[in-house]
Amino acid sequence: MIELEEGIRKGFRIIPIVDKEIRQLVRDPKTILMVLLMPITVTILFGYGYGGKGAGKYPITVVDLDGGDGAFKFIQELRNSKMFQIKAIYKSKGQGFSSVYSGEVYASLIIPETFTEDLMMGRPTRVELYYDASNPSVAQMIMQAVGVVTQQFQEWAAARFGTFAITPMFYTVYGPEIKKIESFIPTLMAMILQMVPTSLISVSICREREKGTFEQFIMTPVSVFDIIFGKLAAYFFATISDAILSLFTAILLFDVKLKGTFLDMIIVSTVFLLNSLSLGLLISVFSRNQLQAYQASIFSFIIFMLFSGVFIPVDVLSSEAKLIASFVPMYYFVTAFRNVSLKGWNYLMVLDQLTVISMFTFAFLALSLRFLRMEVT
Amino acid sequence: MLKTQRLEEQPELAVEAKNLTKRFGKFVAVDHISLEIRRGENFGLLGPNGAGKTTTIRMITGVIKPSEGYVKVFGIDVAKERKKVLKYIGYMPQKFSLYEDLTVEENIRLYGRLQGLTGSLLKDRVKELLERFYLWEFRRRLAGKLSGGMKQRLALATALVHDPTLLILDEPTAGVDPPLRRKFWEHFRELNREGKTILVTTHYMDEAENCDRLALMNRGRIIAEGTPREIKRRALGGDLVEIVFEGNLDPAALPGVKSVMEDSSERYLLVVEDAGRDLPRIVKKAEELGAKILVASPVHVSLEEAFIRFMGESE
Ligand SMILES: Nc1ncnc2c1ncn2[C@@H]1O[C@H](COP(=O)(O)OP(=O)(O)OP(=O)(O)O)[C@@H](O)[C@H]1O
Ligand SMILES: [Mg+2]
Repeated sequence: MIELEEGIRKGFRIIPIVDKEIRQLVRDPKTILMVLLMPITVTILFGYGYGGKGAGKYPITVVDLDGGDGAFKFIQELRNSKMFQIKAIYKSKGQGFSSVYSGEVYASLIIPETFTEDLMMGRPTRVELYYDASNPSVAQMIMQAVGVVTQQFQEWAAARFGTFAITPMFYTVYGPEIKKIESFIPTLMAMILQMVPTSLISVSICREREKGTFEQFIMTPVSVFDIIFGKLAAYFFATISDAILSLFTAILLFDVKLKGTFLDMIIVSTVFLLNSLSLGLLISVFSRNQLQAYQASIFSFIIFMLFSGVFIPVDVLSSEAKLIASFVPMYYFVTAFRNVSLKGWNYLMVLDQLTVISMFTFAFLALSLRFLRMEVT
Repeated sequence: MLKTQRLEEQPELAVEAKNLTKRFGKFVAVDHISLEIRRGENFGLLGPNGAGKTTTIRMITGVIKPSEGYVKVFGIDVAKERKKVLKYIGYMPQKFSLYEDLTVEENIRLYGRLQGLTGSLLKDRVKELLERFYLWEFRRRLAGKLSGGMKQRLALATALVHDPTLLILDEPTAGVDPPLRRKFWEHFRELNREGKTILVTTHYMDEAENCDRLALMNRGRIIAEGTPREIKRRALGGDLVEIVFEGNLDPAALPGVKSVMEDSSERYLLVVEDAGRDLPRIVKKAEELGAKILVASPVHVSLEEAFIRFMGESE
């Protein structure tokens, strides 16, 4: 058979591919937009305000200082509203506070001593809500729900006992030393590390197909392995700055004080970044064109956001939704990053989450390698 | 300069296709064609738009899989052992397929590296190709910013980077100006002399004349195959000669004449079996019969005419 002379080397072709991809990335204005501008913009937007919607049962505790029929009826009303899961009914305020401080529940509702009496006499009265402000979107939902229940109760009571007013009072409780902005950081990082890398890499293979460059590319002895890992490496270098940039923006602009070490946060981010890129590659392998790839990445992003616990904590979701959440790598990342950045854990303490994320990464890469066709269509 | 590859012990055929078929859904783009391209020859694939040339070429390079049949390149089945044959093939697709956001030099370098060239070998090869194809002064220009002809030059240079033994060129001269087209073909000839095999498609009939052998495709089938001369002969059923005479003569009765194509009282176009053999016999016979031959000469038939004739027959 024909033998090639020396000078033509066999083996991997990853390095030229990485080189090529990085050159292309750097020259594409989209990259600058996505990798640099987007994280900064999103971080700033997050810093100035954050709203979220959710539905589900929030775990709360109730402190019943009254012990009368009025309080009993009010608690029943809370249950009927289907918005709360009452974890415990205490007799002292201290127990209620600590259930919020410890992070066991999101809020504790306090019914004052004279509640039933006030009710019977038609006197104005109040209920107090102590909520954890480190999870602002949840706090907002609970406040709204308490408002609704109170109003319903008020109408019922007014019809029976004449004029009557009941005012909910809200008090914030911060989880230990967590300011509002800090608690957003895991969500912010999850968003940036999911959306930018996935959508950026998701067009990388189908763009080559669409433009026709794939036809020439696969005439060289590159393997499926070279293409997948070459692109993965190049996009990793391009998007790791994403993570660092977001963290720095938050720290510099909003005076965020995180407990975790920079190294631990970067390790956790890296594991998740590789996952996002692998998912993007998988999308690229299966997409027919760039538009499809973008749509798929945005769709997966929305699903991930909904089920990762950034809007609604996963433990208040239905069991079906919990099942979905268990297949969402972002869920594990948010948990791990929250523990590392806010609680100051090191990466070894979140090894469980990191392992699960890496298993997803592995699966995405294996599927990409398996289904990438070295053909034009 | 790259050392040329060892040529001994190689199979006689550079490309061998059998019953090659490609269907896109119900549509048959290539319909059971068989081809044999010999080592060292310049083989032209001709045919109107949509004939199936590009599809055939893509099956030969293995970038699409045949629905039926097989292709062997240097005896290796492309569908089964594609990786083995890639290093012997230099391919220039019909559509410009290099990276428009990389420069001229970066494209050639990238492909050199992907083909496994390294170090000074790579550097020298890139420089040599840039110079040979007059791309040196544009080497820092993005490929997307090149003119059509410059793109073709770059694509050809890139296809040659690993000094392939089989060059597959899909309309390499589309959009190339006439002087450069000539240069391209001179270069192809030179490569042939070095022992390289070329498979080329073109819509220019003057170029096709330069091929050693041609295959004419229409609607997914090969309707004629052979040297340009053979193709022309086959289109007419023989050679074309012209005679002009004075006197009384029935041209159809002259020796070797197969048919009379055109007569304008004194001027006739005759199809004969073999012009070289039959012309002297015709002159002799006509004079024996008392006619005076004024002109008797072979007529040059253009490939274009042969092409159009075949197309008409195959409709
Ligand atoms: N991927 C595809 N899907 C569906 N049909 C296709 C595909 N590729 C080619 N065809 C069809 O197959 C036929 C042959 O196309 P092909 O590109 O091989 O023609 P060609 O001889 O190269 O034409 P041209 O001279 O215009 O380049 C055409 O009718 C074309 O529309
Ligand atoms: Mg074509």
